[in-house]
This record gives sequence, C-alpha cells and structure tokens, in this order.
Amino acid sequence: MTEQSLRRLRRIGSEEKFLGPLESAVMERLWKRGRATVREVVEDLGRSRALAYTTVMTIMTRLHAKGLLQRDRDGKTYVYRPAFTREEHRERLSRDLVRGLVDEFGEVALAHFAAELDGVDATHRAALRRLAKGGDRAAR
Amino acid sequence: MLRADRAFGLLVLLALVSSTILIALLAALIPHVELLAARGAEDLADVVAIALLGLATFGIGLGLSSLLRQLHATLALIRSLLARRLPVPGAVRAAAAGLGVDGRIDVVDDARPFSFCYWFLRPRICLSTGLIDRLAEDELRAVLLHERYHLRHRDPLRLVIARYFAAGLYVVPVVEDLVRHFTLEKELEADEDAAHAMGDVRPLARALYALLPDADEVSLGLLVPVGSLSVTEARIDHLVAGTRVAARIPRTSIALSFGALAAASILAAGPGMLVAPASLLFVAAISGGAHQLRLVARR
Repeated sequence: MTEQSLRRLRRIGSEEKFLGPLESAVMERLWKRGRATVREVVEDLGRSRALAYTTVMTIMTRLHAKGLLQRDRDGKTYVYRPAFTREEHRERLSRDLVRGLVDEFGEVALAHFAAELDGVDATHRAALRRLAKGGDRAAR
Repeated sequence: MLRADRAFGLLVLLALVSSTILIALLAALIPHVELLAARGAEDLADVVAIALLGLATFGIGLGLSSLLRQLHATLALIRSLLARRLPVPGAVRAAAAGLGVDGRIDVVDDARPFSFCYWFLRPRICLSTGLIDRLAEDELRAVLLHERYHLRHRDPLRLVIARYFAAGLYVVPVVEDLVRHFTLEKELEADEDAAHAMGDVRPLARALYALLPDADEVSLGLLVPVGSLSVTEARIDHLVAGTRVAARIPRTSIALSFGALAAASILAAGPGMLVAPASLLFVAAISGGAHQLRLVARR
C-alpha cells in the first residue's frame, strides 16, 4: 500500500506531465508557432541559446511519447504540433495534482490549506495578491 | 449567519429526527414484507412496500460505504504519512512555539505544498516539506493557527459524522447542503481565528497566495473546477473584505427534504402504503441519491 502510494506520487510528481526547463521551452515555441519541424525549433531556440539538433530532437521525441506533441510525416521529416493548447495542458496538470491529493488523502483531509483543491479566478487572485503584498486591511 | 458549530448541531438534530421517522417507516414496512414473503406481491401497495424497502436498503448501504470509505482513507493516509515522516524541522518548531500543538505535528517529505488536520479523537496536524519551504516563519505560524482551530474542534471527526449522515439520509437532501455550509464556515472561522491570534491578516494572506498554483498566471481564470463553490474564493473574500459568503441552501432542497419527511411520517403512521406520499419520497430519493452517488464516484 505504502509502496504503491509512493510510486503513484513519483508518477504524478514529475515523469508524466510536469515539464523540465528545456521541454517547457520547446512546448512554448510550438504553442506560439502552431506546428514546426525539429530544425525550425532549433533555429528558434538558437536565438537565445546554443542547442544541438540531436538534443532538441530527443526532447521532441520524448514529448511525442508523453502524448504532448503529435507529429505528421512530411517527406523525410516529421512536422510536430501540440496535442493540447497551453490552457488545456495547464488544466490537465492541475486536475492531476488535485486527483493525486484526493486519491491519497481522501475526505479526511478536511482542513486542507492547499489551495489547489479548488478553483480561484483572476479577480480573487489579484485581490489576494494586493492584500499579501501590503494590503489595506492589515489588522483585525 | 449560521456559524459552523450551530450548523453542525442543526445537522445532527435534523439527522436524528429524520432517522427516527425513517426507522418508524421501516418498522411499519416489516409486516408488509412478512406478508409479501408468504404470498408474493398482489397489489400496488405491495409494490410500493418493496420499492420503499429498496430505498431504505440503498440508504443504509450508502451510509455504511461512506463511513468505511472514510475510515479506509484515514488508515491509508496514516500508513502513507508514517512512511514519509521526517523529524520536525527547527523552522516549524519556532513557528509553533507557544501554540500548544507540540508533539502533534507531523512533517512529511512531499514537494506539493499542503497542510491538514487528521485523525478523530486526538487529531494531529500534517505539513508537507513543500509547504514549509515556501513559507516564512510568520506565514507558517498563521497556517499552524488555522490548523490548530480544526484540531481543537476535532473537525475531522465532525466531518466523518456529517458525511455519514448525508450519505445515509440521502432522501433528505438538505443534510448534504448543511454539510457543505458547515465545511465552508469551518474554513472561514479557522482563518478568522488565525488572523485574530496573529493580530494581522497579512501573514495568512501571504501564505494562501504563496500556495496558489502558478501564482503569476493571472489571465487563466478558473484553474480547477471542483464543485460549484470555491472554498478558496470564499476565504479570499473573507480575508480581503471580511465578507462571508454562505453556501447556498436551495429552496427546492428544503422543500424536497421536508416533503420527504412528511411523506415518510404519513406512510409510517398511515393505514397502508399510499402511492402519493411514496412518490414524493421517491422524487427526493432520486434527487439526493444521484448526488450522493456522484460523490462516491468522484472519490
């Protein structure tokens, strides 16, 4: 049971959908361009950092294997495109995080301080930020 | 505004009254069932009796499954916690100084930021390393004060009882609405308690803000739609402006609940299994049962 829940934590924690910095950079390029070959992504990223073609290819193959990129063959090369929009991806991440917590802790965890457990819109977020960063309602 | 403890008291009172009425109905059904077993179903009243018995069995099943599920989740939680428990770090000990929660804090190795109160008679507070790493000492103290409120009120035990009643009494849907109101009020009161003890609402606000996922991504809107009412949004309203938004108790739910209880009373005291009150009971059962089943399926 414990081993199982530890395995589940690791799975949710990093391997599946959470992206590393390079993976994020590649996804960002593809969300911006819509579709691109490995060469095009290397050139795009090359403006800010030097990256080998094979490094980018490995990353894009991995993102394809994770189901985050789809690809179509165009002659000898693959053209990649995101499988989800940026918003969809973020929503899936949040949902998985919530599921992980609820699966593991169930309803016993009433007094959760984890705000992940429900949605917060932009207005509330901004209001909380104002209060947190100085605020007009300091003392009670 | 109905405060949390009053809401809980009302919930228990309503649950006890409802249980008494429904048990009386069950007792009135037994002679019918004996007759049915002896000669088989003959008329409409027999069909009504069988259907009512089905509702009662379903309710008992739902209540017990809610209870067992929660106990199982608690035991699984404790096993999982024990496997990843770390010694309480100095930062936590410093933040908890003078709060009277010494020896009742567990720290678990987990990158996700969370804290909660668990166990029934002598509750404990659980903090993740992800939470501790993100918060300054005063923010951590505010979180501990929030959890101390739940600990002192034995809220995990109250919630298990409340959920058990809501599941078992699914024909009285207002019980579930009271559970939601109670849960929300508890969070607001725990925040209020923490802000009052700190003498400043900002450490708690900073802690809550630090825990929002992707705090710089303000354009996204709703991140995780879980349920119609966001407890965190209500907490933010409360922290920022002091306003309290209660969980809405729909009038249809109140009407259905009291209709169902009146129908059950008539059936229990009446001359036989009448179709009209029984139908009302079925409508309430379908409405409340569907919701409770969704809750079971979601977990």
